[in-house]
Amino acid sequence: MSTALRVEGLTKRFAGVTANDDVDFDLRRGEIHCLFGENGAGKSTLSSCIFGFYRPDKGEILLRDQPVQIASPMDAIRHGIGMVHQHFVLVPEFTVLENIIVGTQRSGWRLNAAEARQKLRGICDGYGIDLDLDAYVWELPVGRQQWVEILKALYLDAQILILDEPTAVLTPGESKVLFDIVRKMCARGMSIILITHKLVEVMQSDRVTVLRKGRVVATLDTPATTPDELARLMVGRDVSFTVTKPELAPGETILAVEGLSARGFWGDAVLKDVSFSVAQHEILGIAGVAGNGQKELFEVLCGVRRPAAGSIRFKGEEVAGMSPRAMMDRGVGHIPDDRFREGLVPEFSVAENVVLGWQRSPKYCNGPLMDREAITGLAREMIGEYQITTRDEHVSAGKLSGGNAQKIIIAREFLHASGLVLANQPTRGLDVGVIEYVQTQLLKKRAEGFAIVLASEELSDLFSLADRIAVMFKGEIMGIVDPRKVTVAEVGVMMAGRRGDIAASKERVSA
Amino acid sequence: MSQLFQEAIIISILASTIRIMTPLLFSAMGELITQRAGIWNMGVEGTMLTGAFAAYLVATLTGSLWLAVLAAIVAGALMGLVIAFMTATLRVDHFIAGLGLNLLAGGLTLYWFQSYIQGRAQPIFSGFQDVDIPLLSDIPVIGPVLFSQRALTYVALLVVPVVWFLLYRSRYGLELRCLGENPKALDVKGLSVSARQYLAVMLGSAMTGLGGGFLMLGFSDRFLADFTAGRGWIVIVALIAGNWRPRGVLIAVTAFAFLESLATHLQVVGAQVPHQLLLALPYLASIGLLMGLRFRSGQPARLGIPYARE
Amino acid sequence: MIVFERRMEANALWTLSSFIMAIVAGLAASAVLIASTGANVPDVFGALLQGSVGSPKALATTLVKATPLILTGLATVIAFRAQIWSIGQEGQVFAGAMGGYLGAQLLAGLPPLLFFPGVLALGMAAGMGLGWIAAVLRNRFAVNEIISTVMLNYLVVYLLSWLLQGGPWGETGGTISYHQSPMLPDTAFLPALFGSSRLHAGVLLPFLAAAICALVMSRTPLGYEIRGLGYNPEALRHKGVDIARTVSVIMMASAALAALAGAIELFGVSHRLRADNLIGLGYAGIIVGMIGGLSR
Repeated sequence: MSTALRVEGLTKRFAGVTANDDVDFDLRRGEIHCLFGENGAGKSTLSSCIFGFYRPDKGEILLRDQPVQIASPMDAIRHGIGMVHQHFVLVPEFTVLENIIVGTQRSGWRLNAAEARQKLRGICDGYGIDLDLDAYVWELPVGRQQWVEILKALYLDAQILILDEPTAVLTPGESKVLFDIVRKMCARGMSIILITHKLVEVMQSDRVTVLRKGRVVATLDTPATTPDELARLMVGRDVSFTVTKPELAPGETILAVEGLSARGFWGDAVLKDVSFSVAQHEILGIAGVAGNGQKELFEVLCGVRRPAAGSIRFKGEEVAGMSPRAMMDRGVGHIPDDRFREGLVPEFSVAENVVLGWQRSPKYCNGPLMDREAITGLAREMIGEYQITTRDEHVSAGKLSGGNAQKIIIAREFLHASGLVLANQPTRGLDVGVIEYVQTQLLKKRAEGFAIVLASEELSDLFSLADRIAVMFKGEIMGIVDPRKVTVAEVGVMMAGRRGDIAASKERVSA
Repeated sequence: MSQLFQEAIIISILASTIRIMTPLLFSAMGELITQRAGIWNMGVEGTMLTGAFAAYLVATLTGSLWLAVLAAIVAGALMGLVIAFMTATLRVDHFIAGLGLNLLAGGLTLYWFQSYIQGRAQPIFSGFQDVDIPLLSDIPVIGPVLFSQRALTYVALLVVPVVWFLLYRSRYGLELRCLGENPKALDVKGLSVSARQYLAVMLGSAMTGLGGGFLMLGFSDRFLADFTAGRGWIVIVALIAGNWRPRGVLIAVTAFAFLESLATHLQVVGAQVPHQLLLALPYLASIGLLMGLRFRSGQPARLGIPYARE
Repeated sequence: MIVFERRMEANALWTLSSFIMAIVAGLAASAVLIASTGANVPDVFGALLQGSVGSPKALATTLVKATPLILTGLATVIAFRAQIWSIGQEGQVFAGAMGGYLGAQLLAGLPPLLFFPGVLALGMAAGMGLGWIAAVLRNRFAVNEIISTVMLNYLVVYLLSWLLQGGPWGETGGTISYHQSPMLPDTAFLPALFGSSRLHAGVLLPFLAAAICALVMSRTPLGYEIRGLGYNPEALRHKGVDIARTVSVIMMASAALAALAGAIELFGVSHRLRADNLIGLGYAGIIVGMIGGLSR
């Protein structure tokens, strides 16, 4: 089997941080080669170097054994390298065709789409992709938007395709379709670099290269390895995938949501008739592919978004439509999914962020002025208690890693909340160690008698933490299930829009 | 008798609507190009003012009106270069860049103007005259309104379809709109975002400067402090009101021009209203218009957001 | 993954050096401009220095001239720090003078200790009214504050023009209009600090205002919210800060400062209402604020 691409001794540093350290990597013609590792292990940096987004500080890239200079994506495209980015790079206001041809026409004033249309027809037919070239991208579901991304690469005659976390936004069903298409590409001699941190996907590849802290730990034939071995290689130690969750009888109902609906910016329904309740000592998991109303649900619950209809009762009091301030004062803690945008002021110091939202509280004020001593004292206490790695409390929160930033938010919300914590994707993008820590903290609050609503895109999180799981699809709850009585696959089907009647009835039996 | 008088007034109002409209149209189409490329240039006022001053300077120095037009275009493009450098290269907040440019232009033109005249009576020039298009200008009502105008007026009216073609039917237009909607889509194809932003802003600002120059050469004979008197801001309002589309912007600019024309004629016929109120009308209308406008579907998604790779 | 280096914690040295750099750049640009008109640069700078701080009288004049600029500069800093790009200072200066003039009519005859605070407060109130309008336009109608404040500036200028020419406040000699109000009575002149010098008591107010602003910005919850609003309004909204209310407070406070400049100019310098000596104070203040605002 011939080599399509080889990377030798590639090193890339950013402001003193070594993102890739002497990395060797080779891609064979017609294979799916997985780059596997935690966030920050250097997968994205490596692929960005191959695609010409970054210039490596040291090392060589060889195509078909010829050394090449890839100084920009333009060079990469000329050498037949294409990339599908994790966050799609599409123009929603353009049609599929326009998205594909923008910037590719080399001559003439007038826009000329006829040739492009013909070529794309050929490609679509070849792979069995059924896509209306004149549809606007904003009209397409996420899975099809990804096809547009793939077509962009194929239209530019890519021979090597880099897929960056391609299934993060897909339902299990859509993922399967994607892998079918990818397999066809390989059969035609294309080579695929698949970047992922999901074990399920790695197992579908031909070979896997595991990265840890910027270095290659191992390159293995996938069929000859096991998920456990890969996980160990990724983290560098044995990992227990299960946090121990004690059995606790649910107490009083803390939060009861009934018939909740909300509208989006354009008046579209983003939440439809959502009902559930959570009690003390209980974690309600919210499962669903990103963008199916989880964010809106949390926004309504914490008061940032107004509901269109329905009731929210917190400790028996009707709180629907109340301001964030009112919800905070009643003891609702909120860990938002976009921590640097919604949870922190990155330019503020750690100390200032610990009191964010409570800056007017008499606890932190001395007459009309803020009480600096009290605030720095509290911040030091929190840094110690939550093991926040920082030089001191005066460092800007934006300079901390994602994990430490998340710990600031958790510290603040746990300190001020009483009764209910809303956690949206609290472990997204964090290292395994920090994930374990966050999970332990949530369970601790559960033991203390808090009710917790926890949304996660990682089903494994929910299965190990949640007492019940509500599955969301297009703003609706497809069913609420007991994780002890359903399989991951069953929940996956519900995430794709199937009502979980059977699963729900199982819960009714258990209740 | 009175009917004749009325007809004359109406023709005069319409003709002056077209007159007032066309300089604004150059500037508005220029700013449309700039904003569709994602650069929210708040420096329209300053760019128009600089264009007007450059036109005045060259017209009085050389006596050539067409050289003066060229000077306004070049001055506009240079202002565009400054904006592009600040927004595309330095990634300064777009609002701040535009504000700075306005203040700079206001001060610089006045300073240069005063050092140019050095206390003597300021030189004046005689500007563009109406060009009657043979035959067409003899048509009743329509003739004097549409076909007895300054030469640049005809150009300005042509600019609207040209800009429309550029934006929607040329390959440059597709790239330009892409800059405003999602510049990264060009970046990942290896195409330079900032080079395209420079080009768009400079082309747009050249047209904006031309608008200022036309205002000077077509309708004045001398320079004054704050010569443009807020017209650059009216242009920005027209862009929002026109939902960032050529035809919509044309309609909005026409409406503003009609209003101003009406106000001046009310003065002429001696209506019992303070003239300051009439002068204030376009600004009042702008505020009223913006209050009612919640519909902004045409606004480029990345308008005013500096582009950086990560 | 990659630690993104931002210049967040500007240390004192960096602040000072960027401040000095801004001044040097300003001087250099002035030098280029002066040279562009063919004048001798050192001579001009020499004259500038002599004329501004060369004698006690020149220094007094400088202080008097700096007074409105410090105030409009502070007005700019407060708003811009919160990323509110209000350029309504120009109109608010006018409003301050107009409100003050109205106050002088209403409060005429009161003892100075009540009269001056009263008229200055009325001037500030007039400015705050303008600031409030811009805030409502932004909060309720999503009107960009740059555009609205520019439009309001023009409206205020025309309002003043009408008041002085055709309206009730104009001074008329025979049939011609002078585009100015009659002179205020002596009792409405801000008292001089030393004897009969031009240095009026109003020059103390900007320093007081600056001290209050500094304290509010750095030490109070409101200052915390203003800074936070400039950095990340979304996080503040999530954490219970009423953004619309905060924006209103900021815009009104900023407007009050700018209006104070106009009122002081009326009672301390011109002693009659006229546009000439108010024009440009707001816009110059924006430049002052932009340069001064570097020292975050």
